[in-house]
Amino acid sequence: MPYRLAEQLEWNLGDPDDPGTLFSHARSLALDEREEFPAALCAVLDQFGLYEFYIPTAHGGRLADYEQLVQLVRTVARRDLTVAIAHGKTYLGAVCVWVDGSAEQRRRLGAAIASRLPVCLALTESAHGSDLLAGDVVAEPAADEAAGHLVSGEKWLINNATRGSLLSVLCRTDPAGGPRGHSVLLVDKRDLPAGTYRHLDKVRTHGIRGADISGIAFDRAPVPAGAVVGEVGHGLETVLKSLQLTRTMCAALSLGAADHALALGLDFAAQRRLYGRSLIDLPQARRTLAESAADVLAGEALALVAARTVQTAPAELSVVAAVTKYLVPTRTEAVITALTGLLGARAFLKDVHAGGRFQKVDRDHRIVGLFDGNTLVNLNSLISQFSTLVRAHRRGTGDVAGAAAAFRLTAPLPPVALERLSLLARHGSGVPAALPGCLALLRDAAARNPAVEPALRAAERLPAVMDEVHAEMAGLLDARTEVPPAAFETARRFTLCFAAVACVGLWTHSHLDAEAGATGPLWRDALWLRAALARLLTALGLPDAADPEALDGVLDAARALHAERRLVSLLPLALRPATPVQDGPDRPGVRAHAHAAGGAS
Amino acid sequence: MTGGQEARTAARVAELNAAFGDPGDPVNPVGHDRLLEADEAGELSAAGEKLLDAFGLNAEFVPTALGGRLERVDSLARVLREVFRRDVALGLGYGVTSFMAAVNVWTGGDERQRTRLAEILLGGGRVSVAYHELAHGNDFLRNEFEARVQPDGSFLLHGAKQVVNNAGRADAWLLFSRTDPAPGPRSHSVLMVERAEVAPERLTVLPRYGTVGVRGCLLSGLDFDRAPVPGRALVGELGHGADLALRSFQLTRSALPGMALGAADTALRTVVSFARGRRLYQRTVDAIPQARATLGDAFLDLLISDCLCLAGTRSVHLLPDEASVYASAVKYLVPALLQGAMHDLSIVLGARFYLRQGEFGIFQKHLRDLPVLSLGHAGAAACQATIIPQLPRLARRSWFRGEAAPGALFDPRGDLPETPFGRLALTGDRDGLSASLVAAADTAPDGSPQEAAVRALARQLTGELRLIQQESLALPPQDRTALASPAAFALADRYAVLLAGAAVLGVWRRAGDRGDDPFLADPAWAAAALHRLVRRLGRRPADLPAGCVGRVQEELLRRHAERRSFDLYDTALAG
Amino acid sequence: MIDTSTGSTPQPAFDPAPRQPTAESLARWLVQHVAAYTRLSADAIDRTAPLTGYGLDSVAALSLCGDIEDEFDLAVEPTVAWDHPTVEALVAYLLDALGPRPETA
Ligand SMILES: Cc1cc2nc3c(=O)[nH]c(=O)nc-3n(C[C@H](O)[C@H](O)[C@H](O)COP(=O)(O)OP(=O)(O)OC[C@H]3O[C@@H](n4cnc5c(N)ncnc54)[C@H](O)[C@@H]3O)c2cc1C
Ligand SMILES: Cc1cc2nc3c(=O)[nH]c(=O)nc-3n(C[C@H](O)[C@H](O)[C@H](O)COP(=O)(O)OP(=O)(O)OC[C@H]3O[C@@H](n4cnc5c(N)ncnc54)[C@H](O)[C@@H]3O)c2cc1C
Repeated sequence: MPYRLAEQLEWNLGDPDDPGTLFSHARSLALDEREEFPAALCAVLDQFGLYEFYIPTAHGGRLADYEQLVQLVRTVARRDLTVAIAHGKTYLGAVCVWVDGSAEQRRRLGAAIASRLPVCLALTESAHGSDLLAGDVVAEPAADEAAGHLVSGEKWLINNATRGSLLSVLCRTDPAGGPRGHSVLLVDKRDLPAGTYRHLDKVRTHGIRGADISGIAFDRAPVPAGAVVGEVGHGLETVLKSLQLTRTMCAALSLGAADHALALGLDFAAQRRLYGRSLIDLPQARRTLAESAADVLAGEALALVAARTVQTAPAELSVVAAVTKYLVPTRTEAVITALTGLLGARAFLKDVHAGGRFQKVDRDHRIVGLFDGNTLVNLNSLISQFSTLVRAHRRGTGDVAGAAAAFRLTAPLPPVALERLSLLARHGSGVPAALPGCLALLRDAAARNPAVEPALRAAERLPAVMDEVHAEMAGLLDARTEVPPAAFETARRFTLCFAAVACVGLWTHSHLDAEAGATGPLWRDALWLRAALARLLTALGLPDAADPEALDGVLDAARALHAERRLVSLLPLALRPATPVQDGPDRPGVRAHAHAAGGAS
Repeated sequence: MTGGQEARTAARVAELNAAFGDPGDPVNPVGHDRLLEADEAGELSAAGEKLLDAFGLNAEFVPTALGGRLERVDSLARVLREVFRRDVALGLGYGVTSFMAAVNVWTGGDERQRTRLAEILLGGGRVSVAYHELAHGNDFLRNEFEARVQPDGSFLLHGAKQVVNNAGRADAWLLFSRTDPAPGPRSHSVLMVERAEVAPERLTVLPRYGTVGVRGCLLSGLDFDRAPVPGRALVGELGHGADLALRSFQLTRSALPGMALGAADTALRTVVSFARGRRLYQRTVDAIPQARATLGDAFLDLLISDCLCLAGTRSVHLLPDEASVYASAVKYLVPALLQGAMHDLSIVLGARFYLRQGEFGIFQKHLRDLPVLSLGHAGAAACQATIIPQLPRLARRSWFRGEAAPGALFDPRGDLPETPFGRLALTGDRDGLSASLVAAADTAPDGSPQEAAVRALARQLTGELRLIQQESLALPPQDRTALASPAAFALADRYAVLLAGAAVLGVWRRAGDRGDDPFLADPAWAAAALHRLVRRLGRRPADLPAGCVGRVQEELLRRHAERRSFDLYDTALAG
Repeated sequence: MIDTSTGSTPQPAFDPAPRQPTAESLARWLVQHVAAYTRLSADAIDRTAPLTGYGLDSVAALSLCGDIEDEFDLAVEPTVAWDHPTVEALVAYLLDALGPRPETA
């Protein structure tokens, strides 16, 4: 199963609560206070061979399964988002080449990453932010055209700009600009003559304080002809396709942060005594936790479906990625805010509860909604797809088989086919289109097991909401330049519907296998599905969508998993090996003193 | 001394503002750059403390009868807002802590204590308040810190108080202490203890706490080891500490959020500056309709908050036996509104929100500082828990029967009688604020489309009050304790939103009567504000008539351009 | 072909595409769409100016491909409006893609 390796990574990293572990919470907190780059922790990930999962198998690496990559990144993010972002950046930096690079570029980049060189993605400029086409960094043809390009200008707010060896840089190649006026160049700093580039200072940030957020200024830096990724002038296309992949991956960062925050909340509620009881026994506090757990599971469901869609329906990723990149970080932020209220003063104090980890998770996670296309940019991307989505809804088109394969967790994933990525999901998305089929399955399940009926009743509200939301979308088709705020609200509602269908799809296609596993209590009687639908339908403003019974059930199941040192997850992920490990040279945890090697196998 | 209150307050606001100077000036010792540096260093701005010494901020906390300048709670909030506008840490760490402590003495202290405390404060000294213990949080009846009553009436202080602002440098502490080992509300008393009265070897000041926000505040704790203090330290009656604390909370709960509004004002101002300067897609960000709408909504949140703060603080003077429930509503809802607005603004600010440096770096500081408002004093749940048990009584006795609050409750500049410290009640059975909502639904003008929209929204809120009434009458007894159901908490939330709507209506109508503030008298903002509140209740009201939203956005941009405050006072700001 | 009678979702009322498109009819059809998206009047659209100049940003321009597909039953790349960035260029492209047809205008 794709998550097994993530489990091994977790065990391999060792007990984070033990300050003797190299990758311990204590160390992460100390590095954050000092704003120090987590080099030693990145090295631990290198020892595990994580970088191999940033390279597709075709180019010498081990990336063949995007669901697996999500679980690996989530595992690191759960411990420390700074490290996940600092290390995972290489994947972001490389992805343009996997999408559109030449065979030679792929081979060379694969080799560079395999030799553990960091790579970064340089799109943003200080004055232009999201407006990629306004970029001023230029690549002019060198005098001798065969000699390639000369790159000039500044990229700023770039993760690993200073530490990275290679950069995918979006440059203007046509002075007139426009959608065909930019190109991605793979720049290898090691080949640049001295004086043709310099680094801009590290920027002090609110969260991920240790990360290398800096910039780079080029001054007629010569890059060889082979550096252009894809065709000259096709940079925007390459970037937008690549962002579909990275935006899907951002969900892993949010899931890791949510895992961490929820665990802190569960521990606190169990330990804290108020009014003569455990906090967990105060109904209001209990409700906050239960809602948080339900939201985390719904986010996980969507992220799983999205990650699998990369392989099952790549041509539809433009919809799925935008939905996921908007919804998962946003809902995770809301979970963290709710848990802040639960922890009270302890969310604010650094030394009192769990070393002040909560406030770090909160600060760190805020970057996820912000970079790689912020909240509004993702909603805007959906708004510009309204006409396709409305048409697809009317005709019932979309890759339903692809969606079903994404929903069925035990189905093997088809090989990665990035050449099938498309800027626009022409026929909409198979996820919404799969709703009628999923409802039929749910009806069958309810006929066999009456306990599933509440889930069915909730799910049966979806077709009407979908119609309503698509009707709103149809009324907004003329809103492509002066996008009114109402369009953003409609897009938000679309993402909630989408997530609800993804949940129904996942449960109906995967529950039979999952019920037998360690997370069976969440799956049986469609428990998590009920809770997730209640939360999503409530967010959609539907009356009487609450389901307190299901929330309570989810909380009980979550607490049981947490107590068994399993992740609160739809998947059976043990945070510790089943048999206690002996202390000794083979101990899997990477110890602070020993730097024990633990290669991935 | 009532005449001239407005002139006195306005003069002090202007004086403070001038003293703080231009926030954007890099050499201003209390400008944003230097305050960010102090924050990074975990220090309270020394220049800021000096400035406030010179201004004599402490006098704001001392009633005029005792030689200070404290006339009105709303004015106190308005003056302190100027400090919070610049730096929350300074507002809390220099001053408000002392006010939170002093209120206990003004409310329950004897003549000697009052005189002595006034003397300390007017002399520039600080007073700490130590109610809470980490182990018990909001459940302070379980506190363990003891003041053991000795046969001669003196006390032995024993135990620790954690997370106390200025504990290490205060001249006196207000200590919420257990004076009886038995459980229950009559086992606690408040003591005012001066540092000079405690033998140094009997007291350890605990190490400083690190925090994510208000990093300059000096939070530590006090650990007493059987320290004798004289019997005269007792404030009020023995065993009546819990009531005294709860009565004092009424003042602090309604006043603090109004102060913190200043921080949200700066945050909004920062983001408007960004939006007006940043160019994307060949236009400025403030021309993107979604961004513009977010800015306008944040302005509305500030106005709504200020209306509720105004009603809450003025009720202390005008409706003292109703103030308890309003104070909790203010403390519950205003931080939530302000933090929600900050979150939405952070999205507009984009990457700049994440940077601790540069022109917009002050935003993240306010974002980190502001939560102290809801986490550092009474938490949201604790405030809701104060409201819930009062709902059934109000539902039975007051709603749809009682008399509407006087228009003076909603007058930002109207004079008030002095603070009736002695008359604060623990609970009430009247609710003139809601009654004014019901009245507005019937009697507010509805000539223009915008006025009609206000009236329709007022009706919708009145309908909501009916639902709340029914549900409150049906609350099971268990819902009046800490075991209250989530539904009861939701009820308190909806009620607080209604009160905010009532306050908006009141302010709009009063401004219409007075005719001295054309913006506040315009139904446009009132309609937009009520619309926002009705949506917050999960309803989907009819679309606003044309012009409402535009009028609010226009006013926001005007005030930004002219550097005037985003609250009910439209104050001219330095810079 | 598209059955425009199905579905209850309201659609902006555009003239149906002509059966035998001509350069002029295609241009009119396109101008009508661009004008609607940008909330400009059809007269304001210069057929030789880049569409992005009207505020139709690069991402929004992608959705034109769906409209074309809908009207002409012709699958085009989403980037069609990037590669043929003016009304005139798009018309030329469409005429070509729709196959040689007699110019009857
Ligand atoms: C920066 C800062 C400065 C401070 N300064 C001072 C100071 O100067 N003096 C001082 O005395 N204290 C001070 N404190 C302490 C602080 O006021 C208390 O810690 C806080 O008010 C309550 O405690 P708690 O946050 O531990 O919450 P807890 O009471 O432990 O609450 C935890 C959880 O219980 C829930 N809960 C609480 N009450 C109820 C209820 N009735 N029903 C249902 N759920 C409930 C809450 O929602 C929350 O989820 C300061 C704290 C901070 C962070
Ligand atoms: C810690 C950190 C690390 C980063 N790492 C990288 C990196 O490695 N590589 C890289 O290239 N960049 C990186 N960035 C930059 C990041 O991706 C940018 O923040 C992002 O591109 C958005 O730009 P902006 O924040 O400047 O906001 P702007 O684009 O200036 O946006 C300002 C406002 O306009 C709104 N807006 C923008 N477009 C629209 C629209 N279409 N519709 C409605 N509203 C809109 C935004 O939501 C926002 O409210 C990083 C940023 C940070 C803070």
